[in-house]
Amino acid sequence: MSTRSIVVISAGVSQPSSTRLLADRLAEATVTALADLGQQSQVTVVEVRELAHDVVNMTLTGFAAAPLAAAQQAIADADGVIAVTPVYTAGPAGLFKSFVDVLGTDALTGTPVLLGATGGTARHSLVPEVAIRPLFTYLHADVVPTSVFAATDDWADEGGDDVKPLPSRITRAATELAERVARRPTTARPGLYDAVPDFSELLGGA
Amino acid sequence: MQFGIFSVGDVTTDPLTRHTPDDTERVRNMLTIAKHADEVGLDVFATGEHHNPPFVPSSPTTMLGYLAGVTKHITLSTATTLITTNDPVRLAEEYAMLQVISDGRMDLMLGRGNTGPVYPWFGKDIRQGINLAVENYALLRRLWTEDVVDWSGKFRTPLQGFTSTPRPLDGVPPFVWHASIRSPEIAEQAAYYGDGFLHNAIFWPMEHTAAMVNYYRQRFEHYGHGRADQAIVGLGGQVFVRHDSQKAWDEFLPYFNEAPVYGHGPSMEEFTRDTPLTVGSPQQVIDRYGAFWEQVGHYQRQLFLVDHAGLPLKTVLEQIDLLAGEIVPALRHEAELRRPADVPSDPPSHAELVAAARAAGQVHEQQVAAGDHWTGKTAEDDIDAADEVTA
Ligand SMILES: Cc1cc2nc3c(=O)[nH]c(=O)nc-3n(C[C@H](O)[C@H](O)[C@H](O)COP(=O)(O)O)c2cc1C
Repeated sequence: MSTRSIVVISAGVSQPSSTRLLADRLAEATVTALADLGQQSQVTVVEVRELAHDVVNMTLTGFAAAPLAAAQQAIADADGVIAVTPVYTAGPAGLFKSFVDVLGTDALTGTPVLLGATGGTARHSLVPEVAIRPLFTYLHADVVPTSVFAATDDWADEGGDDVKPLPSRITRAATELAERVARRPTTARPGLYDAVPDFSELLGGA
Repeated sequence: MQFGIFSVGDVTTDPLTRHTPDDTERVRNMLTIAKHADEVGLDVFATGEHHNPPFVPSSPTTMLGYLAGVTKHITLSTATTLITTNDPVRLAEEYAMLQVISDGRMDLMLGRGNTGPVYPWFGKDIRQGINLAVENYALLRRLWTEDVVDWSGKFRTPLQGFTSTPRPLDGVPPFVWHASIRSPEIAEQAAYYGDGFLHNAIFWPMEHTAAMVNYYRQRFEHYGHGRADQAIVGLGGQVFVRHDSQKAWDEFLPYFNEAPVYGHGPSMEEFTRDTPLTVGSPQQVIDRYGAFWEQVGHYQRQLFLVDHAGLPLKTVLEQIDLLAGEIVPALRHEAELRRPADVPSDPPSHAELVAAARAAGQVHEQQVAAGDHWTGKTAEDDIDAADEVTA
């Protein structure tokens, strides 16, 4: 069985970034869960901050500079994606949305995706569900049922009677992602030129 | 190898003088630019086709027909003719007319356009873009090569007993290019027919261009038109030149920064690094453009965009002088030195197409002087005749 590639998209901007912290925890847990299923995996992190200007430029010009193009290729080739953004003004950070906007409509079709978000207040815990999940559903990603929201307090909280603490939410979500990744065939995705019908087919279909 | 210019015909305010040409001035400037390019010896002038402001060139064959009369040597072309939203019957007629008027000194480049609303404005469905390009071009070819066409398809009313006039010059249709940036289906189409393929590389990294061109080359060979390296390839490009490269940079920067297409986006440093835009001395252009063949193979036509972003007419004419006087001779010389003998230097001329068609026994009638079955004093007079063909 070949090594599975997990790409982490982290859209936090602070240094250090709590978004990145959550992303790393989710990635670790996913690698562990995949190992339990007998699969090796390799993690690549895409720091959206480093691509911020390229993302804006692509929005304006339609083409990706080399570093952004490399990140997009890694995402298109990934067996699983972990996408984590800070919550800004009750929604995903605009930079994260812009990054997703320029991914292209085919980039994530069928790809298992785990969503995470960080925020200052637990009152915005549903942002991943109501504002981020729809983006990935639209892109035909295979979004896992559990998404993980970490508010500032979560990093010190042990959970209450009704709320599971952050680590167990991370494990649950990562296990869901690992199961989906493990089930996926390892065949490479078709490139731009692999799917072109022979011209006589195009003529016939016209 | 051919070198020329192509224009999108944008009306853009000059960011330095704040002058905005009106549509009439812009159209006349395009004519001046084309005539000048002919006088100084560039090989090609190609006009865009657009149907929305701030672009003026909506009617390419009117413009090119005039230019055919006032120029001597330059090949008149399009960049691009909309194969999706124009009626292929009108394209067959208009471009055959242009071919006759220009005495074969023309070709045309088909594309799907880059402005979504043009589809609904012309009664078409953008989701059918590729299918429209495929069906319309198949019909266009038949109208040029078959004297009397019976046809039915998905996207226009059927034709019974239709003859497109004038018949192509010397019985041979114009040479056709297909242009695409992102759609391998269009590269496939060009390869299938053995037509030319132009990649308008001006906003794209060269790696992307090379991948698309090389795909077309492989498919050209697959369909039996020759070896991959013999396929007919063109590239779009973009330069701003002064003898002093720093002066070129300083002069072009305000135009770059305000240009509608990339202004306020990437810096000129980034854009010149990532795309074929070259701003500098003639030698810098020669070095950069003289190396593209390493990625795409020997190619037959290089077009430059020089008259956009509000640049004054005088500046544009100076750019054309620098291209024709210093850059093109050097690039052409280098291209000829490295070109394998059995790879064509240029896209086929009309004379070469005629010779090839004669050799293959494929010359069609230039005149189809059948009786007129149709013309009455009024359209209604001819209901019988109309019934006959639709029956
Ligand atoms: C402009 C802005 C708006 C914000 N709006 C919210 C918000 O509406 N809800 C919330 O819970 N946190 C909000 N925050 C806090 C961030 O979500 C929080 O600081 C984030 O976890 C920082 O991630 P990072 O450390 O990875 O950069 C906002 C932060 C900024 C800068």
